[in-house]
Amino acid sequence: MVGPTTSLSQLNRADGSASYKCPATGYNILGAVNAPVELPGRRDALKPEEATVEVFVKPGTTTAGVGERYVEGILRSVLGKVVLGREKGFPRRGVVLTLAIVGGENIERGDSYLTILPALLHAGLLAMMSASVPLSMTFAATLLCVTKSGDIVRDPSPTAAKAAVSLHVFAISSKSHLLLNESEGRFDFDTWELARQHALSICQGASDSSDGDVSMSEGKDGSLNGFIREAVEDQIYSDYAYKLDSI
Amino acid sequence: MSTPLVLLPSDEVPRDHLPANNSNPLRLGPGLRILSQPSSKSADSKHVLTATQAGLLTTDAKKNTVSLLSFPNRRYIPTVNDFVIAQIHHSSADFFHCMVTPHTAHALLGQLSFEGASKKTRPMLKQGELVYARVLSVGVGAGAEVELTCVSPSTGKAEGGMGPLAGGMVFDISTGMAGRLIRANSSSAETDEIEGLVVLSELGKKLESSGGFELAVGRNGKVWVNCSDSEENAIRATVAIGRCLQETDQKNLHPHDQKKLVTKILREMKLA
Repeated sequence: MVGPTTSLSQLNRADGSASYKCPATGYNILGAVNAPVELPGRRDALKPEEATVEVFVKPGTTTAGVGERYVEGILRSVLGKVVLGREKGFPRRGVVLTLAIVGGENIERGDSYLTILPALLHAGLLAMMSASVPLSMTFAATLLCVTKSGDIVRDPSPTAAKAAVSLHVFAISSKSHLLLNESEGRFDFDTWELARQHALSICQGASDSSDGDVSMSEGKDGSLNGFIREAVEDQIYSDYAYKLDSI
Repeated sequence: MSTPLVLLPSDEVPRDHLPANNSNPLRLGPGLRILSQPSSKSADSKHVLTATQAGLLTTDAKKNTVSLLSFPNRRYIPTVNDFVIAQIHHSSADFFHCMVTPHTAHALLGQLSFEGASKKTRPMLKQGELVYARVLSVGVGAGAEVELTCVSPSTGKAEGGMGPLAGGMVFDISTGMAGRLIRANSSSAETDEIEGLVVLSELGKKLESSGGFELAVGRNGKVWVNCSDSEENAIRATVAIGRCLQETDQKNLHPHDQKKLVTKILREMKLA
């Protein structure tokens, strides 16, 4: 299976940006983060001691509708918990994330929006890191579908997702915490538990170290958390090539 | 020095990477925080250093500091004591209103905050003119005004070349490159290669015969170049220096390629 591809800090004007392409589902997302920015008229926000996280999802061909509003809400709640909004310079300011769906199949009105959620989450996270927004942890997300025969399939294509009995999206942090659980369709607890374990092994790799230590070789087992780590390392190594040469 | 280590948010700083200097307390730079882990066995808690940003871990054994270098090329956010190149937008009774970064509110520069300025001798700066200034204060809270100054508040002198910039030309560079140029200048090492930049020392050698050049680097991603040669040569040299700096920045050139670039551009501009 072909893994996803990503590149960081592509846009010049934004504080941070990332593009993320998932070949299995075909989605290509471009994310840009501006932070910290002044939000006009937001000075007396409900939580004055924290930063406000705003997320905008722009579909490639149409205007944003109900589906986009729905995923924006999910993204805002996940990222809002991960962003450390009390760090210096962030309270009462805004972290604005814009995600443009550049490629992939159009999601029609009424289709499930869960299929695109992992790609949006990854693009958002990488853009946040590229903008140096303080984060408490990183995470990886995966989409699983349960077919009629009861098999659990990873990253199904949009047509396969339509035929599935149930869809599950899990986001799992770098410390193996479950951050997000969105499910659709008919399923029972045993199926859900199986899907969760499946997601854990996809995100963390086969050998799950529960003691919180991060082994440097974890990218090699093809886990999603390892993939994100490698993408960030590559970009930092190329940005600081001049510094590393002299060491 | 140990192998370069890249940390992601929530990664712990390994103990063997910390500087082993116990004389003064360890200082944490940006991107790191200290968390205490309450341990179940004993009453006292264990402290761990974790990263909050993705970046390269760097330590300074002499100053006993540890910090994280995150992605360098970002929008400039004014910080007190930064040198910036500001452009006058308009002037009012007490202040010059200057542009430091695009799409932000104007920064204020007092009419009298120049070296030896009084009501009668203050500089009359017009719209579009440039000043090399220092950030005096950034205010508190959202929407606060940024204030600049062209004199050092303690001595009343224009230290570090602050003041109006006459002549020359401004080039845009990335904020990361501006930081590198400033660090390369401030660290007084004898070697040619500081922060991986040889472009300036190379240009200095090549242009020495034609009178050399002046350079002012603003943290806000601007660099001002001026040459003191005859009219036409000065313009050509200025543009050549700007092109060298911009290309080094955009292509992230290796020191070896920087030397080649300088030779190539100077030949193109008929200076060498």
